[in-house]
Amino acid sequence: MIHVRNLTKIYDGFQEGDFVALGGVSFDAMPGQVFGLLGPNGAGKTTAMRILSTVLKPTAGTAIVNGYEVTEAPSDVRRQIGFVSVNTTIYDRMTSWEMVELFGRLNGMQDDELQLRMEMLFARFKMNNIRGLLGSKMSTGMRQKVSIVRALIHDPPVLIFDEATSGLDILVAREVFRTVEELRDEGKCVIYSSHIMSEISRLCDLVAVMNRGRIIAAGSLGELADEHEVHDAEELFYELIANHEREYATLVTG
Amino acid sequence: MTWQNIKLILTRELKDQLRDRRTLFTVVVLPMLLYPFLGLSLIQITQFFREHRVAIWIVGAENLPQEPDLFVDEKFSTRWLSAEQHALVDLKFSEASDQEFSEVIETFRKGKNLPLTRELVDQWIQRQMAERNVDLAVVIPNLICDSETDDTDLNSANVFVLMNSASDKSKIATERWQSVVNQWQVALFERQLQRHQMTKSQALPVRFDTADIAQKSEQRAAAWSKILPLMIMVWCLTGAFYPAVDLCAGEKERGTFETLLSSPASRTEIALGKLLTVIVFSIATALLNLLSMGITTTLVMGKLGQLSGGLGLAALGPPPVLSLFWLVLAMVPVAALFGAVSLAAAAFARSSKEGQYYLVPLIMVSMPLMVLPMLPATQLDIGTSLIPVTNVMLLLRTLIEGNVEAVLRYSTLVGLVTVVCVAAAVRWVVYQFNSESVLFRASERFGVGAWLSYVLQHRGDLPTVGHALLCGLLILLTKFFVGFGVGIPADWYEFGRQTFVILLATVAVPAVLMAIVLTRRPLLSLRLTWCRPSYLAAAVFLAVCLHPAFSVLSRVILVLYPPSEGLQAMNGLMESLLTATPPLWLLLLTLAFIPAFLEELAFRGFILSGAQGVKNQWLAVVIASLFFGAAHAVFQQSVLTFFVGMVLGFLAVRTGSLWPCIVYHAVHNSLTVLGANLAETGWITQFSWLMQFEASGGIQYHTVPAWFMTGMGIALLMWIWKQTMEDSHQQLDWSKWQRVWNQLRGARRDLA
Repeated sequence: MIHVRNLTKIYDGFQEGDFVALGGVSFDAMPGQVFGLLGPNGAGKTTAMRILSTVLKPTAGTAIVNGYEVTEAPSDVRRQIGFVSVNTTIYDRMTSWEMVELFGRLNGMQDDELQLRMEMLFARFKMNNIRGLLGSKMSTGMRQKVSIVRALIHDPPVLIFDEATSGLDILVAREVFRTVEELRDEGKCVIYSSHIMSEISRLCDLVAVMNRGRIIAAGSLGELADEHEVHDAEELFYELIANHEREYATLVTG
Repeated sequence: MTWQNIKLILTRELKDQLRDRRTLFTVVVLPMLLYPFLGLSLIQITQFFREHRVAIWIVGAENLPQEPDLFVDEKFSTRWLSAEQHALVDLKFSEASDQEFSEVIETFRKGKNLPLTRELVDQWIQRQMAERNVDLAVVIPNLICDSETDDTDLNSANVFVLMNSASDKSKIATERWQSVVNQWQVALFERQLQRHQMTKSQALPVRFDTADIAQKSEQRAAAWSKILPLMIMVWCLTGAFYPAVDLCAGEKERGTFETLLSSPASRTEIALGKLLTVIVFSIATALLNLLSMGITTTLVMGKLGQLSGGLGLAALGPPPVLSLFWLVLAMVPVAALFGAVSLAAAAFARSSKEGQYYLVPLIMVSMPLMVLPMLPATQLDIGTSLIPVTNVMLLLRTLIEGNVEAVLRYSTLVGLVTVVCVAAAVRWVVYQFNSESVLFRASERFGVGAWLSYVLQHRGDLPTVGHALLCGLLILLTKFFVGFGVGIPADWYEFGRQTFVILLATVAVPAVLMAIVLTRRPLLSLRLTWCRPSYLAAAVFLAVCLHPAFSVLSRVILVLYPPSEGLQAMNGLMESLLTATPPLWLLLLTLAFIPAFLEELAFRGFILSGAQGVKNQWLAVVIASLFFGAAHAVFQQSVLTFFVGMVLGFLAVRTGSLWPCIVYHAVHNSLTVLGANLAETGWITQFSWLMQFEASGGIQYHTVPAWFMTGMGIALLMWIWKQTMEDSHQQLDWSKWQRVWNQLRGARRDLA
């Protein structure tokens, strides 16, 4: 479903010089699976997600989403995905209904099909009471629900959640988790990024731990725990990152 | 790209903007309030002008003739001023025979043989006016006394009216005094005629009557044709800018931009949807302003007419309906152009605040184009039709004035130029939206030290586009300031020295220094690489063959943009310098060879090398040629040098070397110098089959040889193209063989 090979992204900036946000990342994610990208802030998770959603172009490497390559067929890739991120908020001066309808239409949905799908999703996410509410009047939780519905409106086979629970209270966060689980059970391929270990351990079938633009460990959480002989998920994450930081420091200082 | 997606984005953005209170206020509420408020202020100001009391100090009223009487009971006679107007003028009198005034009056009367200097008297009068709190002083010398017998004195007598042009009240007082005195003078004149038993026709055998044949509507159209186009342009620009900032920078700030970018709509569709929104708001702002202004002027001007104030605006009346129709029509291309430029600038901004900063530079760039058509001498012709924005404004003005013939003649050209500019601006917007570095510009703290170290660490073999632009701007800026510091040369040798120093310091040195500091391979950056000698020979022939074409182009430019009188005078001065004593070799060295070398180093060397970073090499040639043209101070010369620069750019890009450019440039300049300087020598007249010399000193080629030579020039260009293509293929083949050789060496090393 998603095949990423040697994905590289280098940002050019005169203040800090060239910054390698992604340094040759490779992974595969399959339908009916939640693939977790785990890493501290600045590890390159968001850059990878942005490239998969075609918002950014890779400097090198390939990423194929449901048969379409991100640089060769970006429009087709965007039809295959639903992207929810801390950076994809909703319009303040549009109602939830208008917002979802707009993205349905941009995805080429016809009136009847769109109407049915919207009714279904608004009922499923208990949003009928906020149909006419402007984005600016919504709580953070409401806004995130609208974002998720906006991403699901065209029933895409791939869902990308980038730190989707950031800033949400536990009640709304649990709703997001439940949604991700449901989507996985429906056979969708879900990419889920977070820096919170408990979220990843609850949701993900496979994880890739990232640091400084590289994948430093990959596999199921059970396999990783056995390999490193650490059975507490947070402890595992901490050890992986700390080891990599030490290696990096040795490399830099020689 | 689908229209459906563009329409969806357009509808969304329109809805979004209409729900924004700030936009609604700027687009709808402000114009509706602004003009009525301005109108009311105008009425108030007019009332002030009408009702303000002024005080006039009359010294020596007793010296005026008693019949007709100007004053009665220390007031203006009711023959000259109505009772209502009397209340607005206070008169204060002093007798001329008073001791303190007699000396002053004597000073005025005697002119040069003064007991006091005139400056002292002016100061004294000013002090007196301030002490007496008057706005105007009128000094009447005693020679005007009722001189039934002494006509000579009456004719030579002057009344001195002393006003203060720095004071508005003094100006009003002068106007009121003048209107009264004009009537009184006519009466005095008639009385004098009676006394001398003359008729008016005897006294004034010739009278000049000026009649205005323009109809009322035409007068109004002419007045509005100067005001409305400028206002429309300003409204279109401001109406486009604020929504553009909100739609780009505002969305980036609110985090919704990425949401839209991750939708199936392509960047181009998003850009066009937003552009259409900006255009709609630009037109709406202009239309609402126009409507509000139309209503206000109809009401307010009517009121001002009733008040019959001293303001000329009262006679203007509302704009004619036909003018408004043309205005609305012209708004579409103007809004499209400003909309596209605003959106492209706004796409670059990281935040709304940063976006607002871009408005001032945008206005600064647009303003000269908007003000140029306001100048009285600017007319719609081929030259002005080629200048964007100005051409639309002039077409609009000509339409409002009702000059249909001129409109029909130039509308196609204006339309063509406008379409090209709008297309270029729209392309820029689409490019900005497709450029990741523009949309996701990171916020970086700027530090000169960090920047310099970054530049030095990251310098490449060749300059970048940014380096090229910086170099071009640096050259223009230094030339501009140095131009002010240099005076007009006294003789030829001083002119020669000035030319050399200016070219060296402002053109060559910046380019060479930048090549050394900013690139790893300065010689390659300046294109100082050797080339085949046949290209040098081709450059010589090319310059000779294309010279007639450029000579014709130069004439066409002078017809399109005739030089001003000041410029002609300057040219005359320069020609007199050039035809003076210098030997020919020195003339050629200073005007042909030195400029060829120094200018080519900068324009086809550093700037073109950097500009080639834009990938499209012809666009790079255009950029270098634009700088080359702009570096020449005289506009007509700039246009010509732009086209010469295009040929030079072609040579540089195709041959990869600067030497053919230097040779071409030197030969081109030499031919011009020879034509101007050797017109009168005997040997050059042997070329009479090819050219003739003009009285002005230039040369004019005969038509048939000129066409033939131009054809040869084109053939040479094609030959250079073909040869350089073959060269590059050979290089490609060679590099392929080199790769194979390297692979073989690698394989042998692996085996070992």
